[in-house]
Amino acid sequence: MAPRPLPNSLAPSTLEPTATSLEEQLIRCRASTFLLRVSGESMQGAGIRHGDLLIVDRGLEPRVGQIVVAYLDGGFTLKRLARHRGRLRLEAAHPAYPPLELSRSDEHRLWGVALHVIRALAARPLHR
Amino acid sequence: MGSCPLASSHPAIVLIDGNNFYASCEAVMDPAVLGRPLVVLSNNDGCIVSRSAEARALGIRMGQPYFQVRRDLERQGVVVRSSNYTLYADMSQRLMATLEPWVEALEIYSIDEAFGRLGRPAGNGDLSGWGQQLRHHVLCQLGLPVAVGIGPSKVLAKLANRVAKTTPARNGVFDIGSIPDPDPYLEAIAVEEVWGIGRQLSRWCRLRGISHARALRDMPTGELRRRCGVVGVRLQQELRGHACLPLELVPAAKRETCVSRSFSQPITTQAELKEAIATYLSRAAEKLRRQRQRAGAITVFVRSSPFNGTSFYSNSATVSLPLASNDTAVLLAAALPLVPQLFRPHKPLQKAGVLLQALQSTTTLQHHLLLPLPEEQQHRREALMAAIDALNRRYGSGTVQWAAAGLHTPWRMRRSRLSRSTTTQLDAIPVVQA
Repeated sequence: MAPRPLPNSLAPSTLEPTATSLEEQLIRCRASTFLLRVSGESMQGAGIRHGDLLIVDRGLEPRVGQIVVAYLDGGFTLKRLARHRGRLRLEAAHPAYPPLELSRSDEHRLWGVALHVIRALAARPLHR
Repeated sequence: MGSCPLASSHPAIVLIDGNNFYASCEAVMDPAVLGRPLVVLSNNDGCIVSRSAEARALGIRMGQPYFQVRRDLERQGVVVRSSNYTLYADMSQRLMATLEPWVEALEIYSIDEAFGRLGRPAGNGDLSGWGQQLRHHVLCQLGLPVAVGIGPSKVLAKLANRVAKTTPARNGVFDIGSIPDPDPYLEAIAVEEVWGIGRQLSRWCRLRGISHARALRDMPTGELRRRCGVVGVRLQQELRGHACLPLELVPAAKRETCVSRSFSQPITTQAELKEAIATYLSRAAEKLRRQRQRAGAITVFVRSSPFNGTSFYSNSATVSLPLASNDTAVLLAAALPLVPQLFRPHKPLQKAGVLLQALQSTTTLQHHLLLPLPEEQQHRREALMAAIDALNRRYGSGTVQWAAAGLHTPWRMRRSRLSRSTTTQLDAIPVVQA
């Protein structure tokens, strides 16, 4: 007896992948996206903790209110971009850290916009 | 002959390339070195192959041997880096992906150079503004400075790119196709510097008193054809603004894969040479698997230093595989027996390498009658190779390696000042202070 053909809905060719690509969800543009590792607690009020993995897009124009990466004093700094009395400044999300004023000539120091944060919950964290 | 106007009805060709590409890549993820003089050294920390603009300004020259200038560099506070090809290859891919949407077609010409084709606006419209936007976009996206040369042909785009780089007032962009009189620019380019001219043709030009690009463009074509055939004529046509060299859009399928290195210190024992060959072969096999190819033949080559006084020795040996493979163990078993044939006790070796040839796609072997192993075993071998490659990608190359490649390896390339793989390796990504 010939085997019965599979009903259409079960034929292999109609199976669609169900997993969602994390990369598609988290990365706007592969070329301009870089990963950075967070050190310090000054952004804990914004839900970013020491050891978190940060997805940063360099290709976006930083806007007021966004969490941005800037390079200051030879290193990367993570803060929220804010406007205060008509001037740009970088604000921490922690009462113990004072804001950093940005002069007009400092604007090129804005490196990228932080879009997502990834934190491991299990015993084996992402950072080693 | 007079000046030949540049053709205007053709689409424009653009050549985009990175300024000081390696040095620029080093600064992208390391703000501590941005704005500081920085040089990148060649393999084995031999000589200077890339300089940041700040290093150039200090008068540091290209190609200077590191050991000669080491003291001066230290005194001047110059940051010194070994070549980090992982970083440069990653930034190169990002650069090409960023350029792609800006042109109708893109030919990746080298790690930091690409030709593109785009339409020129009606009436010979100037594309400099477009070039400036592109330049700004790449700088914002990637932090890489690029120069943009635009012209009616590849040769003229290359020439325009040179003008863009060497004339500060152009701000990194020059469109030679839009200016009414390009002759002064062509006259400023020595005939040797015309792209693709080659040493013989340029020497012949010099002997005939043709010293710059404009003179080459305007010389009688018949004479050029008699002397240099179609190559010379094509070059002249390109200089006249008639595009003859098409963009090569699909890279030809790789027909060979080569891994070779110079040793940091000469190899004098057979055991060391075996380890070196095993190391290179493992890398080449990994490349093959990534390219989804198998090799049908392996060539191993060695040579001594051409400078060390003893007579120069170079040799190679090839083995054909009964059945094409990309299994590291199979390739090692075939290639390592060649080593004793190549090794000479009194010839210290400076360089060795492996060349994998007769490459074929992995899909062609699947239904081969002569499978070397039963099918299930074959699948297990392939799974093993995939697992090894994944580990080496994730935790750094050499995490898992064949014992034949050796553990104590003084001959290995010297890269004492290598930066970390900050864009490709999760445990090497930079830290942001919060």
